[in-house]
Amino acid sequence: MFDISKTANAFLPSQIPAKSLWLKIPFMFLLATILITGCDSNSAIDDSDQLSDTIRVSDLAVDPFVGFVDGRPVGTGAFTYFSLLENKVISETDSSSTKWDIALQGTTLRVNGGLSGPGNGAVQIIDGLFEEILLAPESGWKVETVSAPAITPGSGAGWYNYNPATMVISPVPGRVILVRTAGGLYSKLRILSYYKGMPETPTAESEARYILFEYVIQRDGSRSFE
Amino acid sequence: MIVVTATRLPTSRSDVAIPTQVITSEQIREQGALRLSDLLAEQTGLIMQNDFGAGIQIQGFDSEYTLVLIDGEPVIGRTGGTLDLSRFALADIDHVEIVEGPSSSLYGSAALAGVINIVTRKAQDGISAAASIRMESHQTSDINASIGLANDSGGLRFQYNRFGTSGYDLAPDVVGLTAPGFSDQTASLRGSGILSDRIFVDLNAPFSSLSQNNQIGFQDSNITLSFSEKSIRRDWSVSPRVKITAGSGVILSVRSHFSNFETSSVLEDESGKSELRFERSLRKLEIQGDYVIGTSSMLSLGGGALTESVFADRVAGGMRKSSNIYGFGQYRWYPKSSFEMILSGRFDHHSDYDSRFNPKAAVLWSAASTLKVRGSVGTGFKAPSFQQLYMDFTNPVAGYSVAGASDASGAVKAFEEAGLIRFFLIDTSGLSGIKPESSVSYNLSLETDITPSLHSELRFFHNDVKDLIDILPVATKINGQNIFTYINLSRIYTQGINADIRWQLSDRLSFSLGYQYLDTADKDVISEIEAGRVFTRVDGVDRRITRAEYGGLYNRSKHSGVVRIEYRITDPSLAVTIRGIYRSCYGFGDINGNLILDDIREYVPGYTVWNLTVSRRLSSTTAAQAGFRNLFSFTNATFIPSIPGRVLFLGFNMTL
Repeated sequence: MFDISKTANAFLPSQIPAKSLWLKIPFMFLLATILITGCDSNSAIDDSDQLSDTIRVSDLAVDPFVGFVDGRPVGTGAFTYFSLLENKVISETDSSSTKWDIALQGTTLRVNGGLSGPGNGAVQIIDGLFEEILLAPESGWKVETVSAPAITPGSGAGWYNYNPATMVISPVPGRVILVRTAGGLYSKLRILSYYKGMPETPTAESEARYILFEYVIQRDGSRSFE
Repeated sequence: MIVVTATRLPTSRSDVAIPTQVITSEQIREQGALRLSDLLAEQTGLIMQNDFGAGIQIQGFDSEYTLVLIDGEPVIGRTGGTLDLSRFALADIDHVEIVEGPSSSLYGSAALAGVINIVTRKAQDGISAAASIRMESHQTSDINASIGLANDSGGLRFQYNRFGTSGYDLAPDVVGLTAPGFSDQTASLRGSGILSDRIFVDLNAPFSSLSQNNQIGFQDSNITLSFSEKSIRRDWSVSPRVKITAGSGVILSVRSHFSNFETSSVLEDESGKSELRFERSLRKLEIQGDYVIGTSSMLSLGGGALTESVFADRVAGGMRKSSNIYGFGQYRWYPKSSFEMILSGRFDHHSDYDSRFNPKAAVLWSAASTLKVRGSVGTGFKAPSFQQLYMDFTNPVAGYSVAGASDASGAVKAFEEAGLIRFFLIDTSGLSGIKPESSVSYNLSLETDITPSLHSELRFFHNDVKDLIDILPVATKINGQNIFTYINLSRIYTQGINADIRWQLSDRLSFSLGYQYLDTADKDVISEIEAGRVFTRVDGVDRRITRAEYGGLYNRSKHSGVVRIEYRITDPSLAVTIRGIYRSCYGFGDINGNLILDDIREYVPGYTVWNLTVSRRLSSTTAAQAGFRNLFSFTNATFIPSIPGRVLFLGFNMTL
């Protein structure tokens, strides 16, 4: 249903100028090889005192539309639970456990904390370049309460903007979701697409509710992403 | 040429300190347009913008920032802010005056970008009658008939127009037509009388109605929805006016204006039908006194009151009324023939939003016999719309709600007391007292005859606008949907240059070129960009946007222009005009998620439309006209559905 790969993009040292592609390409190959090897052996995930590589999750189905009610497309309303630490989908039967870190349904993103789950999870959204965020803040963490969800819903408030003219959901560039996992680890995450296959210019006809995201998780318990 | 719009006084166009563009009756005739929108589209600096009808963009402002007058009285009936200029048949119009820049110091709300004053035809001396018929592509037809009667003591003119079209389809694979057919009828009665050598009265009473039937639909691989839509529109106005010469150099005018505009549309499918109604009316009474002081100055003072009401399904209580009282003054000082200064100001007090005072100062300096310099500084404002003030709407399907700004905190409180609010997104205690949108504007124009046959005009403008009204979510309901209201939020600027050159190459051939350079931006977006808080994503990599990448406001072309070639001979009487209307690329909406215009995919490509008209007088009482609109059949079905392909027209008219 979804495939996991890793990207070297966000890992490139920033001192390499973007124009020097001839330098970049072999370097990317090198990195990709290392990353793929890491993925195969699963050693990056087992190693608990290290910063993870950038992990990419593609076409994660987050309650895709199954039919129409009153002319509007609807899904089943079910959340998709995901463990950032283990990089895998968690069964809905474990939704009240601390096995999952984020839960997604359409444009809604929950973390495993507060009213949403029994874990120590929390979230905050900041504007900035993914690779420039080297330290998760100490304060500003939010969980779902009786009075408000952890992430304010609606266009512009969370990770996306909705264009009523084109009826397309677009992830806001430069918007980074910082997640504290159920187990209290820190992760930074960005959503790249809401449509299956990550079309370059999605339209109202594109298959919605398939999320592509990237994240880095710090497994040593610190807030550092360096 | 006498113009009235800039100063509310009949004044020679060349002597007035505020530049006025005039489209003359000869230009209207030779261009051969049927509707006002087609005429204005060929003016420098006026850009047609089709959303909820054919609106006009002036100095980079949307249609809702331009006041449209018929014989000096305001026209009502906007949809989504746009006043559909295709409503007005040109058969009834003598000439059009356009004043760019703010005129709120005389006219109040909406005269922020400019004023378009439509001056209607008056009865000619004696008995006159005229009739015309025209056929066009898309089974479009236009029929006119008029009769007039006038002598030294007054005149009366009756005009009838029927315009009908079967519409066109640029996208046959989509259910329904791109532009559905409709028929529109206008009848108007205009009369004037000289009751004594001191008292002059006139009356305008136009009535128009439109009806439209359309099939609209939505098609997907899974589902097809199809509705039939029946729309009607009716509007009428009556304006009786009196002008009294009270003594030497004192003129008193009393003007009243009653106007009504209503639309209804019925959507119907197998499961049932739904009707949407909207009605708006305006009553206005205004008094103006003009006093000539000595030989070098003149003072005008005036005031008035107007009440407006709106009936709509989506308004709280179904109906709202508001009132506006105002006073204005204007002082004109012309100590030398080469110099004039105008100071004007108007105070508006409204029942539902903050009061406003708008001043303006304008200067004319004839620097040389062939060079006129005009400069002005002034403010403009635009009242919050009915929708922004009084909307009370919950979408029955999606479940979101919109509360107008006039009582947003009360509406939100009602939701709260009903237990429908889950949480607040902003502090709603501050939701009171919406302000009008307001501007400060600077205009400078240079008009010069480079040679006797080469006339040129340069106009520079800069507008700073604050308190633009935006829609904002204020609370989230327990159904997960938001409650929205309108608040004063953004600040923008628009600035640019208009250049017009007219070159009389020979007594038969003339050439004119108009060009507009336009630069617009949201000032808050600029400061966000400068603070490094606006990003784009290219091939999955995020980076910061630079100021140079920001394309400004959507729907604004940086470059636009009109080229016109006219060829005229008198024997046989023949006129040929070719016009090219160009606009460069412009943004249509956000694609890459950062809401601003910065990505190449967010632009509609630029285009040019060419129009050709040939007019031939057949006898002293008959004439024929033929031509093409959109000669090279430019179309863009996705982004510019308002432009059909090539249109051929053929018309014939006779006068008595």
